[in-house]
Amino acid sequence: MNFELLIDILIATVPLMLIFATLFAFTTWLERKALARIQNRIGPNKVGIPCTRISLFGLGQPAADGIKMLFKEDIVPRGADRLFHLLAPILALIPSMLVLCFLPLDFPWLNENSVKAFLLDGAVIFFFAITGLNTLAVFMAGWASRNKYSLLGGMRAVAQMVSYEIPLVLSAVIVVMMVGSLNAAEIAKAQTGWDWFVFSPWGFAAFVIFFIAALAETNRSPFDLPEAESEIIAGYFTEYSGFKFALFFLGEYIAMFAISGLAVTLFLGGGDGPGLAVLPWLSVIWFLAKIFALIAVMIWLRGTLPRLRVDQLMGFAWKFMLPLSILNILVAGFAWHAEQLDNTFITVITWVISLAILYGAASGLNQLNRGKVRPREYKYAE
Amino acid sequence: MSILGGGIFKGMAVTLRNFVGSYINKKERLPTNDYSWRPDGDLPQGIGDYPKEEGEQLSDTTTVTEYSRNFPMLLHDGGEPMDTVRCVACQICERECPPQCIYIEKDYDENGKYIKRPAVFDIDVSVCMSCQICVEVCPFDAIVMNSQFELSTPDRFGGLLVRRDDLLKSNDYYHQIHPEEAAARDQKMAVEKAAKEAKKKAAAEKARAAAEQKAAEAAKAETKEGAE
Repeated sequence: MNFELLIDILIATVPLMLIFATLFAFTTWLERKALARIQNRIGPNKVGIPCTRISLFGLGQPAADGIKMLFKEDIVPRGADRLFHLLAPILALIPSMLVLCFLPLDFPWLNENSVKAFLLDGAVIFFFAITGLNTLAVFMAGWASRNKYSLLGGMRAVAQMVSYEIPLVLSAVIVVMMVGSLNAAEIAKAQTGWDWFVFSPWGFAAFVIFFIAALAETNRSPFDLPEAESEIIAGYFTEYSGFKFALFFLGEYIAMFAISGLAVTLFLGGGDGPGLAVLPWLSVIWFLAKIFALIAVMIWLRGTLPRLRVDQLMGFAWKFMLPLSILNILVAGFAWHAEQLDNTFITVITWVISLAILYGAASGLNQLNRGKVRPREYKYAE
Repeated sequence: MSILGGGIFKGMAVTLRNFVGSYINKKERLPTNDYSWRPDGDLPQGIGDYPKEEGEQLSDTTTVTEYSRNFPMLLHDGGEPMDTVRCVACQICERECPPQCIYIEKDYDENGKYIKRPAVFDIDVSVCMSCQICVEVCPFDAIVMNSQFELSTPDRFGGLLVRRDDLLKSNDYYHQIHPEEAAARDQKMAVEKAAKEAKKKAAAEKARAAAEQKAAEAAKAETKEGAE
């Protein structure tokens, strides 16, 4: 057994998990605070340092919540599948935790070996393959609970996640095409010096599609149909309580971090930012700051948008996002060939044309789908 | 032509205004935290410090804003509560209550005769949804909303069931917490009572007139008979 390699791997993974678990706690606080302020409330502001009157803007709330979750009774419904009821929250957490290792985060304590341990050539493929397991966990939870609401939530989640996986992957394909590599570190390296993919028409379109699909993949509002409180209680985790629920919660937020991390890697230049020449470790800060910017937008959208209807959700994926992302791949392919010519005039022309094509296609698709909406017929009970 | 997805940005601008505004203009953007009834009339330092001491209550409901309502109470007109209670145990509210949180039993005296008051009147706090429908349907103005909001209890079962004697509040207390509404209700009751009395009087008048007529007719018949 190669103990040195094992230690290197531990050095790489353990701090990663600790950092993201801490960030998870902070994010729950941030989300509650931001949503409260958006809704003209104050949000958690009581819990601070225990046994004192210091409240620290309620920053102790996540810790208090965690302790509460640990001590709560773990209820398994009668007639539920006990084994899968236990496995589902674990399976919901593990894939999101796994893919965190492949984000190109250059922590200063990493040595060459520990970096190499996670220098996977197919990182992007690996990411999508592993996060696809989330769907299984969600459906497992819905099935094992023996509850109609849970099963409905699980089925909604499967339909939603399978539909949105396709535009998610197709928009990531553009970056892979441009860089010519599936390696996350290399993709990030290709964007150094403000050469981010989001600063091009096709990259921007891909980023928007990716972000919307990521919202749906992580069951965030406005795509939180699998856990729609007003319709199906809490969806697939209706029957979960105590620490199992906390695991689901953690898994959901870690998935948010992971998919935001991938978005940052693919489109927002990874750890690229000002001041890197002086202080190389700043790249980690930039990376986390970009993740948090995306998370903040997610929270902001959650405070703004109402939940979609099921047919709207599926229609948006199949009738709008899918054609647009396929068209975007074509545009990106032509643009790549145009860029190979290395001519400023042609590049500018390409940009203008692709901008026009993408915007025209988006509004065309919008118009096409809008035309089918008829005025609503009201039917009253006799 | 509007920009694609422009509505989302409009909505986001609204929420952003709320978010930023809540740090700048607290009084405008945090209207639910209206602490204007407090002596200093301002947001207290560190809201949410309530209760400061264990067991502390803001139970002086007269300080809550006048239109707040939370949970029903039974009115009596002063004196010994069960003697002047307005409720006649007609059970209309029990039947109308959407979540069915009211339970009423009629009161009978020792001869088994129904006396118009409730023997049992329970409302389950954990079920009540503060809809005020019981108030709307009551023909006797016996049940109205209280603004008492500190109803939490350490007893999960018995403590959440409010009994008749705890529900009974005097009309004076009602005037204290909801002056406008109570005055309107009193006036309405007075009008109704006057109408009822007028009706009664009219009926009595009619009865008397009828009796008089009958008597006159009888007298007439008698004289007729006498004449024959």
